[in-house]
Order: sequence, then structure tokens, then C-alpha cells
Amino acid sequence: MSRLVRTLLAGLGVCVVSVVHAEPVTKYPGIGRTATPAEVRAWDIDVRPDFKGLPPGSGSVAKGQEVWEAQCASCHGVFGESGEVFTPIAGGTTPEDIKTGRVANLRRTDYPQRTTLMKVATVSTLWDYINRAMPWTNPKSLSTEEVYSVVAYILHLGDIVPADYVLSNQNIAQVQAKMPNRLGMTTQHGLWATKGRPDVKNVACMKDCKKEVTIMSFLPGTAVDSHGNLVEQNRPIGPTRGLDTTKPKNK
Amino acid sequence: MSHRPKSLGRLLKAPENFLTQADAKAPAQMRRKFLAASAAAAGTAVVSAAAAASNPASGLGDPNILNLPEHTKGLGMPVAANGYGLPSQYEKGLQRRESPGLTRVSAASVAFTPLQGTFGMITPSGLHFERHHQGWWDIDPSKHRLMINGLVANPRVYTMDDLMRLPSVSRIHFIECGANTAMEWGNVAVPTVQYTHGMISCSEFTGVPLSVLLEDAGYDRRQGKFVLAEGADGSSMTRTIAMDRALDDVIVAYGMNGEMLRPENGYPLRLVVPGVQGVSWVKWLRRIEVGDQPWATKDEAVHYIDLMPDGLHRQYSGVQEAKSVITSPSGGQLLLDKGFYNITGLAWSGRGRIRRVDVSVDGGRNWRTARLEGPVLTKAFTRFNIDWVWDGAPAVLQSRCIDETGYVQPTIQQLRAVRGTRSIYHNNMIQSWRVAETGEVSNVQVS
Repeated sequence: MSRLVRTLLAGLGVCVVSVVHAEPVTKYPGIGRTATPAEVRAWDIDVRPDFKGLPPGSGSVAKGQEVWEAQCASCHGVFGESGEVFTPIAGGTTPEDIKTGRVANLRRTDYPQRTTLMKVATVSTLWDYINRAMPWTNPKSLSTEEVYSVVAYILHLGDIVPADYVLSNQNIAQVQAKMPNRLGMTTQHGLWATKGRPDVKNVACMKDCKKEVTIMSFLPGTAVDSHGNLVEQNRPIGPTRGLDTTKPKNK
Repeated sequence: MSHRPKSLGRLLKAPENFLTQADAKAPAQMRRKFLAASAAAAGTAVVSAAAAASNPASGLGDPNILNLPEHTKGLGMPVAANGYGLPSQYEKGLQRRESPGLTRVSAASVAFTPLQGTFGMITPSGLHFERHHQGWWDIDPSKHRLMINGLVANPRVYTMDDLMRLPSVSRIHFIECGANTAMEWGNVAVPTVQYTHGMISCSEFTGVPLSVLLEDAGYDRRQGKFVLAEGADGSSMTRTIAMDRALDDVIVAYGMNGEMLRPENGYPLRLVVPGVQGVSWVKWLRRIEVGDQPWATKDEAVHYIDLMPDGLHRQYSGVQEAKSVITSPSGGQLLLDKGFYNITGLAWSGRGRIRRVDVSVDGGRNWRTARLEGPVLTKAFTRFNIDWVWDGAPAVLQSRCIDETGYVQPTIQQLRAVRGTRSIYHNNMIQSWRVAETGEVSNVQVS
């Protein structure tokens, strides 16, 4: 409302009541508005590693198992072990990992799968993600108690909490101190800071850079048609054609 | 081809697990010498496959010239026959495609850009690669809102009307998924450049600098060290971005290549984070929160973390370092014949401009510097070209770029020496394409 109108209305004895919120003076008048507290509450659902944003509440392993079997197991398996649809949730962690805070199997090159519990360092991550994005076809439908419960059930699958555990905003920090891979992350690398330092250094040699060239790896003949007939994935004109991978000689 | 059952061929598991021990050992068992620069080019037949022969079979000449075609003698189509134009019917081969077996659920999968057929530095919007975490939506833009909250003086809400009234910028940038080329860490796994490198595109993006909105909301200059970007889809994708980067060149974008974003690319609003992996370019952007700590969200604490040989994961790894690839000739293609070719490809760096691209046709023994096509822009595709006369002998084609920081694109051996073979993300190795005497081009890794 312009000052002129305001003055005129005041002159006419009309009481001007500020509408909901006073808009701050900005560089871009007429653009945007102040968010209401209810709007911020509706969208600001993130939970940080220091548990900022975690709503108070609790949930038991037992209740979590019920929710899990009804809403999660079809994709993730009853014990969070299934890799059929997504990568497995549980498995690969040991009581020793819970003590050390580093998952030993991550050092093994022959370990077949990396599960969520092997990787995740922060229990807040599980709470936040299940709350915002699960279940798969019906995200944001779980109650706060159900989210606590499902997190408790997953933690139990990793033997991080006992079967009779009730996870809550009061004890979640204690659970954090038992996360098997809690010390398993590093930000000491060059790909985070805007001006990070690279970890490899190649030199631009131009001539006689190596004596011989050996083919170390190539696509086995059996895999040549794994991506469909390549002749159909290229232009019918130009310097090349796609390889006809239906022809026996290319297999 | 679209009817081919997905189970055909070698099944690759989800990116987290694509490498089995058997996979890793296979190439060693199949190792064989590549006879570079063998003086005697094989006398056996070179392919001329489906080449459209223009040389007259008879003495008269090419019937395509001698017999005037219908389109030269008849009336063509009227204007606006297609209100929104489509590619020629002969271009149907170039499609976004999934890599069979890579993922089990198409709503959380990848469709790769057919780099083997694109020109210049701009990716056509319809061929822009897709990566969704919980499916895509075509959102009503009149109902879409952007909120800025957290450590700000005034939490704000903007409509699309608001955002499109603000001062805008238009900038050309590449977007590359952090998992691009992930399947190749241990050994060759996929046949063509579409699948080795197609999780990348380059577009002109139009929108509002994020700094404008952060200042409008009065962000806390002392404590506001990070921002969280959040999407409006079911996954409500969230990623942490450091404040210095957020204030630098990040754009809240609604435009792409002269039109609005495509739904698959975040219509009506997405974040553009130049030089950083695509997962941070949050689509269907609904909220920016200012905070004093990173968030360790699922896609920065379970996925998009890089496993090192010592069992530690690199967290918040986002920068896409300098990388290049020859797009033609490339894997799964067949050269028409001996003779002249224009080797062409793309180079890019998340740390600035491309300064130089070198090309080798002998597997990295000798290199020549390629021509860079302009404009050469920061954190954008740079197209390179170089002349090559193929003599019919086996060859291994490679490109190697250098960015303005002086960083030289590494070999896979150099990357493995530091990161092992299980880190999945940020594989920017020099790519090798072997040209056989038959003219067949295939994906290889060389010593």
C-alpha cells in the first residue's frame, strides 16, 4: 500500500491493519513475500547429523518390524538383505565395527555388496531419507512414530540396537555413537572445495610416450549385443555406421 | 529394438555393485598385444558396409542425380505442419536409452545421451540425459513455489511469476552425473560412447543467480556457510552446497536452450551448479535452506560417496574434473573405408575452461593437438576436431584434455593407483577406442 493511499485512508478515518505480515523492504519491490511459519513447517523437514530438525517422538523395533513387513519388505527383503530392486540395507557389519566405527569389510575388494549400514556414517541420514522419500510409491506418508520405528528396525537388523529397543529423540545421539561406519567418511579430498587440489597428476607427453601399447581390457564377444543392435543406435549416414550386432561375426 | 528383452547380454548390476571379482579378472585373462604401427596394413577387406555409393555403376552416373526425385518435382509440406518441430524420420536411431541391467527400476534409472551422433557443444533438449531418483513429473508451474529459509533475515516464498520478473542470466554449462563412466573403473563393460559417457549434456540455462535470492532473503553472512537445495518430487532430493559456490555461479534456472526446462529436466525450476556433478542440480526445486553445517543427506551419505582402497569414503565429492572423449569414430561404430576422417569429440572441466586437447591414434604413444571450436566457455562443452587419414591398419584413438588450471586428464592407471577400482564416481580417465582392420571400432582399455 503506497504512502499516499495510506495517508488518504488515514485522513478518511479508516483504520489500516497490516495484512498478516509486514513485508521487508527489498531491492525488488513487488517480488516474493515472507513465508508464513506454517509454510516453513510444512516444507522444512530436513534432519541434520546434529539432529537439528528432528521432531520429538519415539518408535520401537517391534513396531518397525510391522511397518517394514507391510510397506518395505517387498522391495528390500524381510531382513533388508535383498538386492533385487535396490541395494541391500543391512548386512556386512560386525560388533567389532560398532566398537571401532569403521566397517572392516569396506577394505575387502572381494566383498560382494556394500549395504546401506556398511556405508552410512550418520543415523540422521536414515531418519531424514525414510521420512522424506519412503515408501517408494507413497513417500511422506509415514507418521513420525513409524519413521522412528523403521529406523529402529533397520538398526536392529545391523545389531546396533537390541530387539526391545525404543528409539527416540532422547537416545538417538547414543545410537549415533554406535553406528558401524561413523568414522568412515572423509572430506580430505579435492572434489569438495571450489578450489580443491587434484589427487592425480598426468603430464602432457607428446612424442614416444611409451614403448608398446597393450590391450588390457575389451568387451567380450558375448557382450557385444548386450545393449541392443548398435546399427539402430547410429545415423544411417556419415563417416560411420553402427555395428550390426545381430550378425554372428560380431558376436 | 525396443522390444528386446532386457535380460539379453551381460547383466550389469546397479552402479553400486557393477563390478564382480570375475569381471575384474576377466580382462587379465584375455589380455593380448595390440600391434600398433605395424608397417604392413592388412591386405584383407576394409568395410564399406552400408555406405551410400555415389560412384556411378554404369557410365551414365548416379541415379540419385540423373533421376530427379519426387521432392524436387512435387509440392512439399505446408508451414506449421508440426507446431513443435521434430527431427527427421531418418534420425530415429539417436534416442536416449537405458543401459540394460544397470538398474532394476526405470523410475530410479538413467537414460543416456547419444553422444555418438551429436554435433557442436549444445545437447538437443530432447536428448538431454535423464536421471531420476523417484520418477519424473510435469508440474503445473502456476502452483510451483520456491521457498528460502533457515539462517535468513526473512524467509521468502517466490512464485514462478516472481522468479521470471527478476534479473536473469543465460549461461552455457555442462551437467555430468558423478557416475558417468562408472562402469569402466575395473574393466571395459559397455560398448558405445552413449553408455560410457552419455550421462552428460550441455545446454544454455536461463534463470536468476542464486546470490540474488539469498541476498533478497537476507542470508546470514557470518553463520550461513552452506545451503541445502531440495526438490518437489517424491524423493525431495536434497544436496548440500557450500556458500562460496552458491554465491559464485549457481543459477535458479527455468530456461534451457531457449525454451522452458523439459519436465524430465526439472520443469519448471531447477538448480544449475556449474562444474559440479548433476545430482546437485536439484530438479523441481522447491526450497533453499541456509545453514551452518552440511546435511549428510542420503545422496551425500549413502550414494555419491567415493570408496577408497583404505575403506574410507570420500564424502561431498562433487567437482567434475577435466575430461574428454572422442565421439566419432567411437565404440560400436564401423568406419566406411580407408581414407580421410575428422576425429571429433568433446572436452569439459568443472574447474574452468578447456585450454587444449591432444589426440593420439596409436594408443597414447604420440599425440597431436586438436582444433578447438569456439566459443570456449568455462564449465561448458568444448568441441574438438582433428584430421586423420586411416590407412587401414589397427589403431587406438584417444583424447586427452588440459584445463585452464593446467590439470591434465589422467589415465585409468593413474586413477586406480590412488582410488582403486571401487569408487564408482568421478571417473575422468582417458578413453580408448580400438579401430580394427575391419573398420570396427570397439571400447578398450590399454596399458
